[in-house]
Amino acid sequence: MTISAGGRPRPHMPCLAKMERMIVIMQDPDMGVKMRNQRLLITVIPHAMTGNDIVEWLIQKYTISEEESLHLGNLIVKHGYIYPLKDPRNLVLRADESPYRFQTPYFWTSTKWPATELDYAIYLAKKNIRKQGDLIDHEKDNYNLLHKRINHTWDFVVMQAREQLRAAKQRRKGDRIVIDCQEQAYWLVNRPPPGAPNVMEHGLKQRNCHASRVQLTKNMDYYKREIEYCRKAMGRTRVKSSICLEGYVKFNEQYVPHDPIMSGCLPSNPWITDDNTYWTMNAPTVMTPTKLRVERWGFSFSELLGDALGRAQFMEFLKKEFSAENLSFWEACEELRYGEQSRIAEIMDSIYQHFLAPGATRWVNIDSKTMERTLEGLKTPHRYVMDDAQMHIYMLMKKDSYPRFLKSDLYKSLLAEAIIPPETKKRVFPFMRKQRHSSPSPALLLLPGGEPEAKAEDKSRTPVAAPVPEEES
Amino acid sequence: MVKEECKALLDALNKVAACYRHMVLTIGGTADSQNLREELRKTRQKAQELAVANRNKLTGVLKDRTVSKEDKAEFERLWVIFSTCMEILEVDMRRALELGHEFPLNVPKKHLIQTGMSGGTSGVAARAMSVQNMKYEAEHNIDVVDLKDLEKEINQVGEMMYEMEMKVNVPHWTVEAKQDPGAELKSTVSMGASSMGMISVEENKSFCDISKVLAGVIFSAVLIIAIVLAVCVVKLS
Repeated sequence: MTISAGGRPRPHMPCLAKMERMIVIMQDPDMGVKMRNQRLLITVIPHAMTGNDIVEWLIQKYTISEEESLHLGNLIVKHGYIYPLKDPRNLVLRADESPYRFQTPYFWTSTKWPATELDYAIYLAKKNIRKQGDLIDHEKDNYNLLHKRINHTWDFVVMQAREQLRAAKQRRKGDRIVIDCQEQAYWLVNRPPPGAPNVMEHGLKQRNCHASRVQLTKNMDYYKREIEYCRKAMGRTRVKSSICLEGYVKFNEQYVPHDPIMSGCLPSNPWITDDNTYWTMNAPTVMTPTKLRVERWGFSFSELLGDALGRAQFMEFLKKEFSAENLSFWEACEELRYGEQSRIAEIMDSIYQHFLAPGATRWVNIDSKTMERTLEGLKTPHRYVMDDAQMHIYMLMKKDSYPRFLKSDLYKSLLAEAIIPPETKKRVFPFMRKQRHSSPSPALLLLPGGEPEAKAEDKSRTPVAAPVPEEES
Repeated sequence: MVKEECKALLDALNKVAACYRHMVLTIGGTADSQNLREELRKTRQKAQELAVANRNKLTGVLKDRTVSKEDKAEFERLWVIFSTCMEILEVDMRRALELGHEFPLNVPKKHLIQTGMSGGTSGVAARAMSVQNMKYEAEHNIDVVDLKDLEKEINQVGEMMYEMEMKVNVPHWTVEAKQDPGAELKSTVSMGASSMGMISVEENKSFCDISKVLAGVIFSAVLIIAIVLAVCVVKLS
């Protein structure tokens, strides 16, 4: 049980606000829905309406078709604003004489006051008392579950349940019946039985941040929050959507040939042909990398460093240029950032000894300000102490060594030696066993050079389906 | 005994909280009225008084180091019950505020929801205030005037709960409930008798009760047959 001191109520789903407005309009004594009396054995309870009345009223008020009116009415019933009296478990609007009634505002569906476990437990306890232990299956299960889950307040649950029943006895019989029906309807909406659709389930996207209708006194805190919010909003970086989209399109154009789903993977998609060659050829440490992989190293510095093979090749290059200590320093900082907590002091010490101390064997060239700050930070070791220096070296490598790497002979020779794996040859016989072709990948149909593969798939289908006329390649 | 006093206070708070919830249920419906708003106000104030009394008593006991272990466990259990009760009360007060804003009573254009409730809540309020009859003495626009006080009181309750949480260190999960599942049924024997009594009292008031009529008819038929038989016996002997 958490206490939110001055906690803000959560936002209300917008559709619920609209439904509530509609319900209030329905109450108009002149223009609203026609009311009848519900006649039980002894008691007469007012304010009942038939499903037909509701549908008629909706049609008249909003000039919509009957189908739409029925759908709208169904939505209102499902969300618990109107509940059926004859068949309470079935939250459906029937356009006939079946009676319905409005739900009291306390029990209106609301995302601001979610139905808590405690309330549900009290309701089940009350029902238990009234029905002398004869609860429905799923309610029994929930009851036992709640007893375990909120065991520390169970005594309160029992006390409150008894008191609420005693308080209810002070009212007229008709009102008692109405209150029971209301509560039952409320819990049918908020804790639907298994198998029934749950209206309260909503994804994160559907929550709009509408402010709550009731604002508690606009005191200093409220205005402070507003100022903070506006300040942050002004300081946000804004990029024109055209520029964003351009960047997005460029990224996609660059990466499309490399995407195994969009452009097919050579030699073949292991998921379809059960052939692991694709994965073994693109393993992190391989003798000769594939051409696509080497090309990717040219896209950005992070791609190069992110690939183990690329990083190794880059290290080779830097060794030739006598600036390998930069990459070693960067790697050591990565180890510090993502390594074990117990080794932090040790790693930091070794970094200092090897890279930062004046006269160290592999001294890195950092500007004096960053060096000062880093040396200060050494006194309080934690994993992000080297961040400034690491970023400095990273940018240095990116601006200086990386372009030279791309223009170097080493890289060019790598490109030349890189292999393009050949596509799998058509196999005539073994297709009978394995080719479960669920759906042709878009790559196979769109790739201009993909006809051999399309042909392979066709051949695979012939014994299973009707014979397909062979395509001319 | 301190335990009994604490329990009695807690029971009283529990009763008032249940009655308050019952009355908040009625806001916005056709049974809503200025009287209801006044009842809400009075009940709320009573609840706050009881809450403060409870808090003082329980904090006094919990701070006392001379209390034995079992007693301390018992008081912690009472403390958890008390704080849960306050949570429920606070939520109900917030809801009352929201509903009060949405359904002002003197505006002709704003209609109350026709919920089917027609009776008043004076019985519930009388139970909450532990009086025989409720007296209504507020002005005619209490529904609007009261909302400001309600806001202040909600803030007060919130602060009180925060203080409670900070000052008293009772982790809720260490408390074990005394009642097993289904414990509320055990006392329903006595509850059932009283509820039956209530229902039969009510049903006496209505004249067209079919079951009673049937019983009456059968009884009178049996009586007539008995009289006829007796007359025959007398005549034949």
